[in-house]
Amino acid sequence: MDQIKIAAADRLKLPKDVVLGEVLVSFVGRSCVTIENYRGILIYDDSTVKLQAKHCRLSIHGKRLHIDYYNHDEMKITGLIQSMEFGD
Amino acid sequence: MRACYRLWNGYLRIRLTGFSPERFLNLCMANQIAVWDLRCVDGEYQFLMTVRDFRRVKHLVRKAQVHLKILGRYGLPFFLYRNRRRKLYGAGVAVFFLILFLMSRFIWSISIEGNQKFTDDRMIHDLESWGIRYGMVKSGIDCENLEEAIRSHYPEILWVSARVSGTRLLIRVKENEVIGSIPEREHEPGDLVAAKDGTVTRMIVRKGKALVEPGEEVVKGQVLISGEIPILDDAGEPVKYQYVRADGDIYARTYQTYQERLPVLTSRRVKTGKIRKGVRLQIGPLSFLWMLPDTSGRQWELTSQNRQVVLMRDFYLPVWIELIRAEEYSLYEREWSEAELEEQKKRINTQKIQNLMQKGVQIIENNVRILNKNSFLEIDGTFVLEEPIGIRQNMNREEENELLDECN
Repeated sequence: MDQIKIAAADRLKLPKDVVLGEVLVSFVGRSCVTIENYRGILIYDDSTVKLQAKHCRLSIHGKRLHIDYYNHDEMKITGLIQSMEFGD
Repeated sequence: MRACYRLWNGYLRIRLTGFSPERFLNLCMANQIAVWDLRCVDGEYQFLMTVRDFRRVKHLVRKAQVHLKILGRYGLPFFLYRNRRRKLYGAGVAVFFLILFLMSRFIWSISIEGNQKFTDDRMIHDLESWGIRYGMVKSGIDCENLEEAIRSHYPEILWVSARVSGTRLLIRVKENEVIGSIPEREHEPGDLVAAKDGTVTRMIVRKGKALVEPGEEVVKGQVLISGEIPILDDAGEPVKYQYVRADGDIYARTYQTYQERLPVLTSRRVKTGKIRKGVRLQIGPLSFLWMLPDTSGRQWELTSQNRQVVLMRDFYLPVWIELIRAEEYSLYEREWSEAELEEQKKRINTQKIQNLMQKGVQIIENNVRILNKNSFLEIDGTFVLEEPIGIRQNMNREEENELLDECN
């Protein structure tokens, strides 16, 4: 089913974050990141934010991480971002 | 917008501790409870939340087994609560808005745009006579009637727009730039006579009989073009006269002189460098002056700038601030220097030339000199001009009748 959806999105040139519900991460320099299409917060402290997305988990590492706001579509994190990694 | 809403309703800074803070945060998200400015300080979490949402999170707290503690309260409800004893403060704020509201019901400035022929003073004076003046109630102005009144009072004004903007009455007018009425053509028979002495240089006769020629000297009052045209018989004798209105352009070379007197000594103001400054505040009819009085009896040159206080762009207040600057000077007299005299001569001469140019006169020669007449200096100028000299003189009716009688 997913294969069909991916193929359809590719063919029709539709954005995958909308069709497949993939997580969308936008960085502004290294001080600000906005994450869309996430499901929930797994871990939060001032050096790590770990989030659950539809198909994966993602962790953001840094210093003085601070969640400006979050709601069920979007989260904005500011602070000194050092790395981001995806996990299953 | 959202920030204003939060300030209006009040929000709290909350400390979050307990077993599963992340679970609490996810529950908030699922229940659409807005949490912002979330930070993790030394293992405990702090965030902001509106008062209304705080009341809704009780069961989530139980579910996630966390503890919430209010650290700070912000926003209007808390501000009012904290300042509930400061009644005069509140009254002051209320009075401020009341005064602002009351003041905005009056006209504090009248501005007129587009007027060239009619001065602001004259128009404002007329407006006053119709009952429109500074400090009147705004609702007393009927813009349409005012426009009508201006249009009928000044026939030269083609278009008027009056509107009240803030506390200002704005009147824009468009004046008629072409001549109001075409001068009626006169048909009375008449001659063209010389307005002054001179030598005729060129002439064009449109109607009538030329009595002079170019190169001829004429005196003031001499007939240049006659409106009396003789009709000759075969023998060359006039049998009849036809009377017309003589018309033509006659240019003559004329002389014009002028004398201007200057005192022998010129008085100069020299600034000593001492400056005093002051402020005058005018609130309605009251006026306050802050300026140290001068006790030395010296001479001061005063300049001032007057400004009306305006809030935003159109909210004029009946308050004027005048900045006064006084500069001390001493007066002394001395003789004119060569350069200064030359400058004076030039200035006077240029002024005269400008006056002549405005009349459409051509200047052929221009001589100026300065004569020293002991008690005063005289600037003596002579112009040689080429100018139209013909002026109309209506024919005397009686004379005309006599002539007619003679002919008959």
